[in-house]
Amino acid sequence: MAGRAIWNGHIHFGDTNVPVKLHSAVKEERIQFHLLHRRDHVKLRQQMVCAYEKLPVPTEEQARGYEVEEGKYIIVDPEELEQTAPESSRLIEVHEFVRTEQIDPVFLDRVYYLEPDIHLKGYNALAGALKEMDVDGICTWTMRKRSYLGALQTSGKILRLSSLRYADEVISVKSLELQKIVLSEKELKIGSDLIDQLTAPFQPQKFEDEHRKKLQDLISRKARGEKIAILRPRRLKPTAPDKLLQALEASLKKVA
Amino acid sequence: MALQGIWSGTISFSLVAIPVQLVRAVETGRVSFRMLHSKDYSPLRRRMYCPEEETMVPPEEIIRGHEIGPDKYILITEEELESVTPERSRTIEIVEFIDMKEVDPIYFDHPYYLVPSKGGEKAYQLLVEVMRRTNKAGLAKFVLGEREYLVAVKSTDGALALITLHYSREILPDEDISPKEGTIEAEEKSRIKKSINRMMTDFDPEKYADGRRKKIMDILKKKLKEKAAVEAPEVEEAEGEGPPDLIAALQESMRKVKKKR
Repeated sequence: MAGRAIWNGHIHFGDTNVPVKLHSAVKEERIQFHLLHRRDHVKLRQQMVCAYEKLPVPTEEQARGYEVEEGKYIIVDPEELEQTAPESSRLIEVHEFVRTEQIDPVFLDRVYYLEPDIHLKGYNALAGALKEMDVDGICTWTMRKRSYLGALQTSGKILRLSSLRYADEVISVKSLELQKIVLSEKELKIGSDLIDQLTAPFQPQKFEDEHRKKLQDLISRKARGEKIAILRPRRLKPTAPDKLLQALEASLKKVA
Repeated sequence: MALQGIWSGTISFSLVAIPVQLVRAVETGRVSFRMLHSKDYSPLRRRMYCPEEETMVPPEEIIRGHEIGPDKYILITEEELESVTPERSRTIEIVEFIDMKEVDPIYFDHPYYLVPSKGGEKAYQLLVEVMRRTNKAGLAKFVLGEREYLVAVKSTDGALALITLHYSREILPDEDISPKEGTIEAEEKSRIKKSINRMMTDFDPEKYADGRRKKIMDILKKKLKEKAAVEAPEVEEAEGEGPPDLIAALQESMRKVKKKR
């Protein structure tokens, strides 16, 4: 079941106004670990340390600075930054619409379900329109004193809101400095055929986190004092550049 | 800027194996700001700290513990962790390809990039280009730190992006909050469609970042008029204690856990 509502407000654009409630859409399950000091098993915590003094810095001595040139900063108070956020409001303001496929998943952050609030007013119509046109609404809203950029989406029946990362939080591919390599059409053709052969429908239910159970089992065995056999991770031999075509052909033969 | 690898291993599909490194695709937090010490304006660094000994703890003195009672832990070493699923801890094996159009974006979790290691450049480029042409992504499972991730590897601007996916059991059902009535308000819908058409544009993430940056810059300009910029003392750069890959990844995942609480 979706958890209880964490925020409520109105989706707004033009003369459309749809009251909604926000719910989390994802709940992660994981086995918790703490980082400990190997010597004395004391639980470690993260600490901000001054690069100059090499000493821990308490919260009240931490400041935010904008680097104007190397080593030179303008100190900005959190209150001043708050001013950049729109005033606290109950609006999910849609500024524009874009084709859903244009939003690279690298920008998608956290997803929320939107439940129709009070009455259905326009909810189904909006979900239907987004679905049929295959578009997302780019919007902003303020929640817990923070402003968010988001994409208003639909699965068809229910509206969703996904927060988006800002472009300057995403590392550009250019900075990876990848080498350009010319590939032959033959290699690309065989590669494409191979991928087509290996294509299946997306069925996420097929995949389970088997590792989690095994890890739980490892913890229990260690708790009983059992010795754990160390298994070497499998390392594959990289395909040599001059053997690529050969490997592709052999792969295709195997699956065809 | 050379990016620090979080993980290194091999990505494979069928009989092709490509040596790669996993690097960050996202810098969390506000990149334009740095945390400083208000006394000397020196930048702050994040370190692990032992509250008992009141000392900074270097990565080689850190171990994972699963809490079973107050201050009681089961210790798990790196090697033991890798032994849980050894076939997936250094290999990202693409088991099948999927059409990107079929993926409900609700599954996307955290993005990374893969970059080729020496000798893998050609096969890497091939996978990038072939997935771009076919609009396909590779599905794989691999283990990083203490978790096994289901991931989609796709082509993005000439690079391989690796996006961790949520398991379907982590996606909460939405039936109980979906609208009960299925009434299609036809008139309302066509009115909304007209509004949408008037507001259609291309997705341009730079534009949104610029908007935010401009607001921040306005404040900064005002501040700079009132008061000069402060200067940090020089620090000899040769600190050379970039945390090893796994610890960095772990710290990041712990930060994420903390944020959620």
